[in-house]
Amino acid sequence: MQASRARLFKEYKEVQREKAVDPDIQLVCDDSNIFKWTALIKGPSETPYEGGVFQLAFAIPEQYPLLPPQVRFLTKIFHPNVHFKTGEICLDILKNAWSPAWTLQSVCRAIIALMAHPEPDSPLNCDSGNLLRSGDVRGFRSMASMYTRLAAMPKKG
Amino acid sequence: MDSEDDMHDANDVESLEDFYSGDTAASDDDERDFDFAKSDDSDDETFHPQRNYTILSEDDILQLQEEDITKISTVLSISRIQASILLRHYNWSVSKVHDAWFADEESVRKAVGLLEKPVVDPMLNAVEVTCGICFETYPRYRMSAASCGHPFCCSCWTGYISTSINDGPGCLMLRCPKPSCGAAVGQDMINTLASEEDKQKYSRYLLRSYIEDNKKTKWCPAPGCEYAVDFVMGSASFDVCCNCSYNFCWNCTEEAHRPVDCGTVAMWILKNSAESENMNWILANSKPCPKCKRPIEKNQGCMHITCTPPCKFEFCWLCLGAWSDHGERTGGFYACNRYETAKQEGAYDEAERRREMAKNSLERYTHYYERWATNQASRQKALSDLQKMQTEHLEKLSNMQSTPESQLKFITDAWLQIVECRRVLKWTYAYGYYLPENEHAKRQFFEYLQGEAESGLERLHQCAEKELQVFLDAAGPSKDFNEFRTKLAGLTSVTRNYFENLVRALENGLSDVDGHGACSRTQSSKSSGSKSKGGRGKGATSRYESTQWSCKHCTYVNVRSTTECEVCRQRR
Ligand SMILES: [Zn+2]
Ligand SMILES: [Zn+2]
Ligand SMILES: [Zn+2]
Ligand SMILES: [Zn+2]
Ligand SMILES: [Zn+2]
Ligand SMILES: [Zn+2]
Ligand SMILES: [Zn+2]
Ligand SMILES: [Zn+2]
Repeated sequence: MQASRARLFKEYKEVQREKAVDPDIQLVCDDSNIFKWTALIKGPSETPYEGGVFQLAFAIPEQYPLLPPQVRFLTKIFHPNVHFKTGEICLDILKNAWSPAWTLQSVCRAIIALMAHPEPDSPLNCDSGNLLRSGDVRGFRSMASMYTRLAAMPKKG
Repeated sequence: MDSEDDMHDANDVESLEDFYSGDTAASDDDERDFDFAKSDDSDDETFHPQRNYTILSEDDILQLQEEDITKISTVLSISRIQASILLRHYNWSVSKVHDAWFADEESVRKAVGLLEKPVVDPMLNAVEVTCGICFETYPRYRMSAASCGHPFCCSCWTGYISTSINDGPGCLMLRCPKPSCGAAVGQDMINTLASEEDKQKYSRYLLRSYIEDNKKTKWCPAPGCEYAVDFVMGSASFDVCCNCSYNFCWNCTEEAHRPVDCGTVAMWILKNSAESENMNWILANSKPCPKCKRPIEKNQGCMHITCTPPCKFEFCWLCLGAWSDHGERTGGFYACNRYETAKQEGAYDEAERRREMAKNSLERYTHYYERWATNQASRQKALSDLQKMQTEHLEKLSNMQSTPESQLKFITDAWLQIVECRRVLKWTYAYGYYLPENEHAKRQFFEYLQGEAESGLERLHQCAEKELQVFLDAAGPSKDFNEFRTKLAGLTSVTRNYFENLVRALENGLSDVDGHGACSRTQSSKSSGSKSKGGRGKGATSRYESTQWSCKHCTYVNVRSTTECEVCRQRR
């Protein structure tokens, strides 16, 4: 508990220092609980998520960083490895491939990489996975960018 | 205990052997005859095949493991820690490690995480280093690294290792915490960095992996037993007898089940669990005396029950019939194994007929199950009797009869034989259940063999249980004791031979039997000539086969004209 708090505090200070370094990620610690974080990440360019801003929620276990944080999308996203309803993410480093050397920042980077390179073979969103697996990239892109416009962009007017 | 009555009419071994070999006159002119007593010494090797497995204690396992590690470490010129990591990756197969290593050492090193030199040179770094997990800065000497050189502080290592160990045997494949590094973490690091408790868990996993990852070793399935078995693949028999005295089948790890094959055992176990509701009442080990109706508890191993005074009625635990009736009708004087499907006569309306048939099908199963379960219980009882014999009775007996305990081995041998026979007999009931109803000749022959086995075993069991009791209860040395020794030792040896032959006959699927052989045997010794007997036997078989068929799903015997089973409605 003490170790995880100390480590999170270090991450917090690093985030403050690094803010300008990675403009695609904005990590925010909860005002009253250092085990709860949110992040805003920018959809990577040349993907159907481009132009969107997606919010992630982190719940961090007491054994962190020996155990991985739980992360999910708060913003709706159409992606083969993200559960459409719950926002749960299927990503190996958040499960068995976790290493305590990862940070919240590097988890965000891994999620951005996943947005750019979906893994249709382990889908949490079957519709989206099927579109990609059947080779219907256009169909997938149009669905994904429609949801990006609907959910991840500021409403106009 | 009324031992006079229990001895019945055959007191000496000679007459027992006659009893076993059956009608010697008939066997003389019938080649196919099964004369069990005759084939005793002819092929002794097959009775006592060389043991095709080794029982391993924890020390044996550790020693084998060490030897394998030494082999790899010497031949590949790598450290023992590295050799151990390699072996674990290749399921402890020395030859697979050899092959892979000499085919492509570089890719093996990469896949397993055995680095030749650190990727980070520790000397290049300053005195102070930042730990990659807690991000604190420490002096160099407080850091540790795997062969790659990536530094982490000792308390982070301890936490990292502990999390992995408590997550399961995956800890044996632990790697450097730095993502994408992959350098293996060996037991040397575990031993310097983990807590005492975690170190023990790790060694446990290491020991277990040697047995569990290796195709030719398995743990003994007996609860609480810590022995493992190293099995020679391709051996004829799967039977393994562990040092804990548990017998099991190497192939399916169920309790040893010769002469029945693994598939039949699995079917039988499934059937039992499906029927267990119906069977609960059978397991109750108390039944009313058929004469006075007082509840009788079966507390001895044999099936011959004598009600308490004043009733003293002697009856058979299995069928509750009078013991004195146990003759031809039940398959032998001591036996009670024959099942006859209830005859259906008279007119029933359809619903009642179906009900009756369902009941018969359950009754048929019940017949076999009850005998299977009773032999199982008898076996358990015999096992505990054997233990009691070894821990207290033998010493007492030795003092009383002024005989060294070493000369009382014949008693232990008898009990061991009883335990083994109860096991075999138990499985013959599963065998009988699945023996097709329409294989009339085989069924008859099977029931004959089983009946003989049962009565032989009852005889031995009675002798070892009730007759021995007389000497245990006696006040001083008895001159009859030597006679008892001869009788019990003789019974043990005869019974052993009989059961060994029985097992082989059943394992061969009773292949030597045809209508001819079996019927000439079972249609009693009173017939005069074997030729006429054979003719009758054949006729009986084909007549039987042409009027009935046995359902392969529920075993119900249907009349020939039907194409689907009348009980379960499955197609023929
Ligand atoms: Zn540390
Ligand atoms: Zn490393
Ligand atoms: Zn054992
Ligand atoms: Zn088996
Ligand atoms: Zn009675
Ligand atoms: Zn009976
Ligand atoms: Zn049927
Ligand atoms: Zn059926």
